[in-house]
Amino acid sequence: MMPFDPVTMATPAFVVLVIAEMLFVRFTGRGRFEAKDTAASLAMGLGSVVVGALFAFIFIGFARLIQPYALFHIGWSWGAAAACFVLDDLRYYLWHRASHRVRWLWADHVNHHSSQHYNLSTALRQPWGGFLALPGLLFIAPLILLGFPLTMIAFVHGLNLVYQFWIHTESIGRFPRWIEAAMNTPSHHRVHHATNARYLDANYAGVFIVWDRMFGTFVEETQEDAPRYGIVGQIASFNPLRIALHGWVSLGSDLIRARNAREFAGYLLAPPGWSPDGSRDTSDSIKARWADFPAAQTPAE
Amino acid sequence: MNGQLLQLLISLGEVAAMAGLCAVLFGWRDAAMPDAGACLARDIPGFRPGRIAMSGDAKSALIENASDGAIYLAVMRGGDVVTRRLSRDVRVSREGERLTFDLRDFTLKRTQLDLADAAEWETRLKGSA
Repeated sequence: MMPFDPVTMATPAFVVLVIAEMLFVRFTGRGRFEAKDTAASLAMGLGSVVVGALFAFIFIGFARLIQPYALFHIGWSWGAAAACFVLDDLRYYLWHRASHRVRWLWADHVNHHSSQHYNLSTALRQPWGGFLALPGLLFIAPLILLGFPLTMIAFVHGLNLVYQFWIHTESIGRFPRWIEAAMNTPSHHRVHHATNARYLDANYAGVFIVWDRMFGTFVEETQEDAPRYGIVGQIASFNPLRIALHGWVSLGSDLIRARNAREFAGYLLAPPGWSPDGSRDTSDSIKARWADFPAAQTPAE
Repeated sequence: MNGQLLQLLISLGEVAAMAGLCAVLFGWRDAAMPDAGACLARDIPGFRPGRIAMSGDAKSALIENASDGAIYLAVMRGGDVVTRRLSRDVRVSREGERLTFDLRDFTLKRTQLDLADAAEWETRLKGSA
């Protein structure tokens, strides 16, 4: 039995903290808010809860399908929950990294990155199409097959999401080095949301930044190159429905235009920006061009 | 079910109230276009701003990359700039000093700019790669 749903419990705190950050930013100038952007992010957050509830049966069905093949039967204990939390955070890292490198998963995850702002409301800008990003289910399978109870997996996943809320802010600078070394912090996650070439495809961690340090995807925030937020091709809409669908519409139109199985697979599974003739930008091609232009590496501002 | 519907309505009310507070604190209107050439130069390695044509309402602009001759459309969305490189598949039409772009873009379908030299830009765009 799950002790409680961390996200539901934390929702009132989310509301209070977003309002507190708005007031803090208004009176200190540390950070940026934009009413239309915030309205869109909050609506996306509410919509994701509704859509998530409607399509929860897909996750439950998948979990029940593979649960009989679990290697062990781990019971509820706080020690098991702690181990599950750490393993789930590794699961989050792998899923998150794949969500930036596989177009099928990016079509959904792109929504979370679609704001040019970085504040606590951005944390709530959550996608609506998780039920379409089916490969994402595979990342949860190892935890189920190890034998952790489904309620425990849901519980630690909720805790992970709650942790990630507060790191979406420009109002907090940096923590002492020992914290920045181990934990995901606002500084590390600003890098993750940045479109600056030096920051692309970095800092995928959920709670523990050690995963990025271990797997070579860690990039430090630098004062000389302040993060600019959003996605490489910024979206031009504050309409939540357009935001939620734009990644899927873009992917769908490419899949329809694919001329053979190779192109179809490339559009679906290659990194975002992949095209058969290489005419579009991927994060790799942008970083390669950036590396060729020394002037671009030291912005004047 | 009624309880869930009520919860949803309360949540919608909360979202509206928070968006309203944000509008009171930070405003609701789109800002005027900042230096869009500088924005592009930050985002595109090797970009050198060339000719720039600002629309009459200061909410959109055309910017040439002096490095390769490519033309970019920049529009304001809230307080931020959104840019698109204009390619051959962009449908551009002109009525007097008004240029209309119909893009194959789910979040930026149609944009209109009022430019004194609209005819010249139309000619360039229809001939550009």
